[in-house]
Amino acid sequence: MVDAPILSARDLGLAYGSIVALHGVEFDLPPGRIGLVGANGAGKTTLIKILLGILRPTLGTAAVLGFDATKDVLDVRSRIGYMPENDCLPLDISAAEFVVYAAGLAGLPRNAARQRASDVLTLVGLEEERFRPIEGFSTGMKQRTKLAQAIVHDPELVFLDEPTAGLDPEGREEMLELISRLGGFGINVLVSSHVLGDIERTCDWVLMLDGGRVLRSGPLSHLIDADTVAVEVIGDTDAVARHLVAAGATVDVAGPRLLVWTSTDDAFRLVRDALADSGAGMRSLGPKATTLEDVFLEGSGS
Amino acid sequence: MTERGVVFDLGYVPYEGERRGRRGAISSTYRDGLQRVFGIRRRARKKILPWMLVVLALLPAVVFVGFAFLLSTFSPEAESPFGSHGDYFSITGGVVLLFVALAAPELLIPDRREGVLSVYSSRPLRPDDYIGTRSASLLTVVAGFMLIPQVLMYIGFAALSADGFFKALVTNTDEIPKILAATVVYALAYAPLALLVATIASRKAAATGIYLGVMIVGAGLAAALVEATTLPGSRYAAILAVDGHPDYVRDWIFGTTGSSETTIANAGLDPWVSLAVIVTVAVASSVFVVWRYRRLM
Repeated sequence: MVDAPILSARDLGLAYGSIVALHGVEFDLPPGRIGLVGANGAGKTTLIKILLGILRPTLGTAAVLGFDATKDVLDVRSRIGYMPENDCLPLDISAAEFVVYAAGLAGLPRNAARQRASDVLTLVGLEEERFRPIEGFSTGMKQRTKLAQAIVHDPELVFLDEPTAGLDPEGREEMLELISRLGGFGINVLVSSHVLGDIERTCDWVLMLDGGRVLRSGPLSHLIDADTVAVEVIGDTDAVARHLVAAGATVDVAGPRLLVWTSTDDAFRLVRDALADSGAGMRSLGPKATTLEDVFLEGSGS
Repeated sequence: MTERGVVFDLGYVPYEGERRGRRGAISSTYRDGLQRVFGIRRRARKKILPWMLVVLALLPAVVFVGFAFLLSTFSPEAESPFGSHGDYFSITGGVVLLFVALAAPELLIPDRREGVLSVYSSRPLRPDDYIGTRSASLLTVVAGFMLIPQVLMYIGFAALSADGFFKALVTNTDEIPKILAATVVYALAYAPLALLVATIASRKAAATGIYLGVMIVGAGLAAALVEATTLPGSRYAAILAVDGHPDYVRDWIFGTTGSSETTIANAGLDPWVSLAVIVTVAVASSVFVVWRYRRLM
């Protein structure tokens, strides 16, 4: 990892009485858009709350932008934004008033707060509705307001906890589009979601949690691009597989279908040679489409 | 030919201006507290009750000064029928009690019910900062309710004094520390307990009802126990008359102890006991509120 990590953890653990929420969590996450994925109850929100300094870990340490998440809480909070999963909006004031207030809470002077709030509400698509009381907003408009309060002070890093929760397909698309644009604004993003497709679309690094432990952490391209080739053989499948293994490939056989992976050579070339050497034909050949869901299910043993 | 304007899409512009950190967060929370209790930047119905109470607190002072002006104009020899600074606290004390019953829940409960505490938790603000600032907003308003009518009367009566404005101002300066001390006593007696109830209750109406209920039931219970029983030490039941303690201490501060017929006066409690009750309830309430918010944020 070339860049200094924006988030790191060493042997991080937290237990609520006898219930272990996080255990032995270790990671170094680079600048950019990071996806925090895991099933409900995997420990995502607990991890975010530790990074925000809301919860104190029972074990280990965590750092945010180089600051200790437990000891340097105000330094961390001066540099981050947070969009919670649950409701966080006062219903009796307008979006503009609340976002101005949120900017003031981050330390921006009054005039700058007003200017920033206006700009950011326009950015999230609420320029027309910003003077309406929040209680009349749709779920999508509330999610946009939540995002606006999280970025109004131009944080170095923003935590988005389930940002697409409760949104209809159109609202989901628009929210994912907004999240994708944040990286271009120079804001690092950590998106927590149990919807793996959302992470695939918006992030370039993935941290997977399962049962309070780290399942995988790495660049998205490495996780879902495993250089695996799928071939459906016509003829002697076992003979083709033997040729591939002899050439150094790893092979999974499922009826006439072979999954072929190699770390040292071009898998397509090995398949071509094995088919020629064994005299078999093929019905189909192509890269195996690996999704984040496949990686998660494989890692969690489901 | 006129020159035409050009619109540039600057996109997202990073913020490179001043960041005031914790100091800015505290001042924003304080200002928001003041706006919230008066319904400022909120719907009209949120403004009605607080501003009605402001008028109730101020109007008698304006009327007193006005009548004093008429009296001094048409009957300079007549003695003023209007009360002293100490007496005026009886009016503002009741108004402040109602205001605090409405304002404390407004300050604390919506932030909890609507989840806004999670936003505060992501800003450079500690739980103690939050609850301290909310308390400061409430105490500021209480002090305003108590002091502004007193200042109005102080200046108004001085302006009408036969001895001349400046001489009257100087002559009456011994009233100023008494007014300030009484204001602190009322603020301590009413605000921390209201914040405690607002910390426990989950709805604003319930918090207002519980707070006023504690005051009314406490006064009734104290009166019943003090007057209807002959058990030794029963006079100490007057301690339960939570709303009566600030009036009793105020009379003591202004040197008019025994001038009013209250349960506490009838029980013959030492004013120090009343002061100790006020301080104890205030400290205990504040400790609980801070403890609770350290767990919530």
